[in-house]
Amino acid sequence: MPAAIETRDLTRRFKRQLAVDAVSMTVPDQAVYGFLGRNGAGKTTTLKMLLGLIRPSGGSALVGGVDVARDRIGAAREVGALLEAHGFYGNLSGRENLDLTRSLLGLPKSEIDRVLEVVEMREHARRRVSDYSLGMRQRLGLARAMLGAPPVLVLDEPTNGLDPDGIADMRRFLRALPERTGATVLLSSHLLGEIEQTATHIGILSQGKLVLEGELRRLKADLAPEIALQTDDATRATALARARGFDVLAMDNGLVARLKPGEDARTASASLNRALIEADIAVFAIGARSRSLEGIYREVSPPSPVTPAKPQPEFA
Amino acid sequence: MTASPPKTPLLAPLFVEARKLNRSLAVVLAVAAPALIAIFAFFMVLRGREAMPWEMWMMNAAGIWAFFMLPMSVTALTALVAHMEHGPKSWDHLRALPLPRWRIYAAKAVCVLALVALMSAAVLFMSWGAVTLAAAIKPQLEPTGVFELARHAGLFGKIFLAALLMIAIQLWVALRYASFVPALAVGIGGTFFSVVATSAKQGVFFPWQMPVNMLATEAWRYQTALGLGLGLGAVVMAAALVHLSRREVL
Repeated sequence: MPAAIETRDLTRRFKRQLAVDAVSMTVPDQAVYGFLGRNGAGKTTTLKMLLGLIRPSGGSALVGGVDVARDRIGAAREVGALLEAHGFYGNLSGRENLDLTRSLLGLPKSEIDRVLEVVEMREHARRRVSDYSLGMRQRLGLARAMLGAPPVLVLDEPTNGLDPDGIADMRRFLRALPERTGATVLLSSHLLGEIEQTATHIGILSQGKLVLEGELRRLKADLAPEIALQTDDATRATALARARGFDVLAMDNGLVARLKPGEDARTASASLNRALIEADIAVFAIGARSRSLEGIYREVSPPSPVTPAKPQPEFA
Repeated sequence: MTASPPKTPLLAPLFVEARKLNRSLAVVLAVAAPALIAIFAFFMVLRGREAMPWEMWMMNAAGIWAFFMLPMSVTALTALVAHMEHGPKSWDHLRALPLPRWRIYAAKAVCVLALVALMSAAVLFMSWGAVTLAAAIKPQLEPTGVFELARHAGLFGKIFLAALLMIAIQLWVALRYASFVPALAVGIGGTFFSVVATSAKQGVFFPWQMPVNMLATEAWRYQTALGLGLGLGAVVMAAALVHLSRREVL
């Protein structure tokens, strides 16, 4: 089965800045592909090239097997997109907004009810979009992206600005999407937790380069496990663990000590626990676990000292 | 892979553009600008001391329209129509759709031209209505002579055609820049120079003064202005469509 999205050495340069650097990514059919990276890593530029919105400086991009540069319209027929800016007309209702895109795509009217049903927005569809909450706009954006049942959905930060309930709804919805519609989802985000719970595959972009790609389950399994720990003195605990040969990373909720290849996780965890207690460091929690996405991400995508600014037109 | 959606019907972008105007400020402007001229004509008639010919009232309305209200309305209208996409940042969505981009921009241009044509007709008929109403209130001021619809409609039609170059320039700038500022600066600047250089012979070559030249008595003036406004207007509009559909929106 051909890949839903495939790029080969996809490159984009803005004057002197290399925004996307020879990215070769493969999004398998019916995958939920988490496209990760810091702000300014080149995610949106890559997505814009996939959608034919900007031209690559080099390389190629195929969507549904169609070369975007050679046949933009053919490639666009394969994809529906939810972009960061929704682009809805506030003076019109949700249904009217969908109907504009439906008309442009030459689809039957019944398509509107179908997609509204999928995103559970039928009862709000007659309200003006200017009265919608952000979560409702996101859902309406998803509905619009699904008009005509395109085989590929490109979603740029779909959980941006949503409240926790909205994020949970979106997560549930995205996870079910391939099974429900048969679509492949390319999901751009910088929320690692969301991607970890939603994606089947990931690609990590760092400073314009694709530094890691693969099936999430397999990536986690292939990497050595780690010990997650929470103590009352992270600085001393880090020094102690490093002195014992562990590679230590600070995470949002504590420390992570990487095991050496072949090392037994339970034995190493017990040994580190004993050492911490002997050093009079209080241990609140400790345990071995398989690699978290955050750990993988931090390892392959170290923070850059300066985040490159997005190029802006003269009168943005 | 699922089946691809059907191709977009040829006129779909045009109907879509027309529907976007629903409840929009552009429509409010399209009604308000001609109405202001009519209100002005209404009170001018009521203030009169003696009956004046229809010809004078209609030339007054055409003068205000061509000289000032048309360039200012085109400035505001093109900015509002463009801002319908710039405001919610819908260009990315529109430009990612599987249809030729020039058709999106052409539909916008046709919509703007249709609105300006309707506004021109509205100035003609609202002015006629306002003068008629004022004369009904003060019958002694009933305009003399005959209201020659075909002649006045012809004049407003020529004003509209001569304005094509100005409309094309304003629309190009308004669609090109997301900010209102460049479009307003061009429009206000153009109108300003058109007003201060009213009597200049070179005015006939100035896009914002071409519509006013339809009121000129010398044949060469209105013929030149009409030819240039219409001809160059078509060329500039075509160039705008090519440029806008090819450029990248970052």
